[in-house]
Amino acid sequence: MTTKTKVMPTRQTVEATPMPRALQLLTIVTLVGFCFTLALGLFVAGTDIQQGEIQRIFYIHMPSFFGAFTAFGLTVVGGILYLWRKNEQWDRIAGAGVEVGLAFALINLVTGAIWARPIWNTWWTWDPRLTSAAIMALTYAAYLMLRAGIEDEARKRTFMSVYGIFAFTSVLVTLFIIRVVPETIHPVIVGASPQNAQGSFEATSGVVMALVPSLLLWLTLMPITLIWHRSRIEGRLEAVNRLKLQILSE
Amino acid sequence: MMRSLLRLLCLISILIFAGVVLAQGDEDTVPYIQLSAFNTPLLEGWENQSEDDFAQFHYAEAHATIRSALVEIGDPVAAARSDLRRAFGIELGEAIYQDKVNLADGTWNVLVYEPDAVASASVMARRAGSQSVVISFVESDPEARILMLTIAQSGDAREDAAAEIDLALSLLASNKPADLVETSALALPSGEWTRAGGAGAVGMGMVFGNDSFLAIGEGETGNLPKLADAYNRTVLGFFITPDNAGYLALALTASFAILALLILSFFWRSRNIQKDLELIESLNQAGD
Amino acid sequence: MKTPFRTAVLAIVSKDLRAEIRSRELLSVMAIFAFLCILVFSFALELDRVAREEAISGVLWVTLVFASLLGFNRSLAQEGDQGNLDAMLLAPVSRPAIFLGKLLSNYLFTLIVALVILPLMTVIYNSNLLKGWLIVTTLLGVFGFSAIGTLLAMLTLHTRSREAMLPIAMLPVALPLLLTAVRATTNILNDNPAREWLVWLQLLAAVTVIYLTLCWLLSGFVLEE
Repeated sequence: MTTKTKVMPTRQTVEATPMPRALQLLTIVTLVGFCFTLALGLFVAGTDIQQGEIQRIFYIHMPSFFGAFTAFGLTVVGGILYLWRKNEQWDRIAGAGVEVGLAFALINLVTGAIWARPIWNTWWTWDPRLTSAAIMALTYAAYLMLRAGIEDEARKRTFMSVYGIFAFTSVLVTLFIIRVVPETIHPVIVGASPQNAQGSFEATSGVVMALVPSLLLWLTLMPITLIWHRSRIEGRLEAVNRLKLQILSE
Repeated sequence: MMRSLLRLLCLISILIFAGVVLAQGDEDTVPYIQLSAFNTPLLEGWENQSEDDFAQFHYAEAHATIRSALVEIGDPVAAARSDLRRAFGIELGEAIYQDKVNLADGTWNVLVYEPDAVASASVMARRAGSQSVVISFVESDPEARILMLTIAQSGDAREDAAAEIDLALSLLASNKPADLVETSALALPSGEWTRAGGAGAVGMGMVFGNDSFLAIGEGETGNLPKLADAYNRTVLGFFITPDNAGYLALALTASFAILALLILSFFWRSRNIQKDLELIESLNQAGD
Repeated sequence: MKTPFRTAVLAIVSKDLRAEIRSRELLSVMAIFAFLCILVFSFALELDRVAREEAISGVLWVTLVFASLLGFNRSLAQEGDQGNLDAMLLAPVSRPAIFLGKLLSNYLFTLIVALVILPLMTVIYNSNLLKGWLIVTTLLGVFGFSAIGTLLAMLTLHTRSREAMLPIAMLPVALPLLLTAVRATTNILNDNPAREWLVWLQLLAAVTVIYLTLCWLLSGFVLEE
């Protein structure tokens, strides 16, 4: 066997996969939806009489948390399916979910801090919900560090599937902490007990109208599109690395 | 295709920024005055005596003044003493009530003084770096005795303003009524208040956040709702910066920047893969 | 023909115990570290009486977590470095039995340290920590930490700079345990009525059970590699 015939088949799997039509379509729909929901929040919804313009950041702040929730949830699903089926595709989705979710969680933290400055007069306060959201982001930063630290590929996939499942507890804590530790000043817009909050506003029909599309977009299309793109890149990267190893071993 | 999408994204974000900047100042917000160090809500119907470094509103009918100031003293209690001496010429003496509450922006000292038979001063003071923020309510109505109080909620009082009023009255009223009768609800701009009183003394309370905002009055208490509302609007709205479109633009920029970084990292990684592939290709050809 | 589950678990625990009795490496390190931690806290926080009473449960649990991290790292590193873990994997023993064996021996060591520092803190901080329910909380909390600690130590065993990776991986995941344990401890210490802290103890038990189940289910995968 010559070198050429050994390498060529693998090479094709690296390069010759054009973006699937479904992904192209999804990307366009997501972009259009992003602009549409942003326009709803920035121009159509009314200005909050007490908080002023900054209240509009809420249309990104809260949906971005739920986007992170979906992305990290997909990490759990990907992890379980990888452990079950041992198909690398699932691990790629899990890994991509963490990267995308971490970006969303950062958006959530940063927009929250910038909102708090004019409303609470502080960038940060040690409130249970803020603290747990920060810990959530750190957990997934730890995930990425851990992932980079394991050299053996198969071991990495298994271990990271396991850690991805564990790390999700930090997301659940952030979601439910105000039910358990009620001394929070973080406003609750959906659901009960807003009397604890400072900087709350009324969820009028205008707010809901602008919020629901944005929430749906961040909950579904945004994480799915980004994770799809990211896991495709990971697939190509792995193929190239395999190719490199193959050449080196010859 | 991805490249053109990225360009589209940039274009859209520029358009949105332009929109935000143009939309600034079109809408109504709560009226407020902006001083060099802080903002405070404008109290309508009160005489505005504010200057550049403090906000002060006077209500002649009730002999009441609400003042917010930044004082160059690190210790909040000493700062309150100094500020009131400077502004009203009163020596505060010993506090008749002193405690601390945690609001979102830090720990406030809650102080109540009665320097003489007529005047009383209810003060909230907090350290701000090497300075202190002092919000004070000073009243010198010979017909009335009105005090303001902010307390951290006791465990069970979470939804029961009447219990908190009872507590405030037993802490500060000179003659606490035996029974609180005529409890009623009042909707004021600062929030939903509960009013309860008995012979000789009346209390008002609002439960908000983790704290209870209270006012008690003895004697002529007809002005109590107006005074309590004004003082607590000042306390609660003290820091809210209503002209905050700049912060909105900042938050949007930060969000877009994070998203853009994520997407750019995708491009960067794909390009690296492409480069590696070309390298492998050339190595392969060289090997042939 | 597999070794029966119970025999395998007991064999691993007794192996660890015997090794520890001979070397006294793990317990002495953990105990000295915990002791230092408590002293450093009392200096660093400059506690007056009131602040001490409020901070004491936090100090207790942070000390326990750090000391246990140290122990988990060492105990798994010993297995890995000396090839013991590979030997155990080759032996006809079910994976969960290996996990349970390591969990129990880790639990035992951490518990010994906990039971030493409880009376110690009672003396140093002059506040009675030897209460029945507080010991129950400690038993439960330490078990929860041991469960995730053992699993994550097996996981970080093969990473670069594993000593640093275990705390980073474990602390955020342990947060629900830490939160509930600290709340329960504070309330029990302050002699609050049972209705105020029982819910925390129940939550702690629930989190521990969930973590134990997860660790149990996932240990097979972690040990497979």
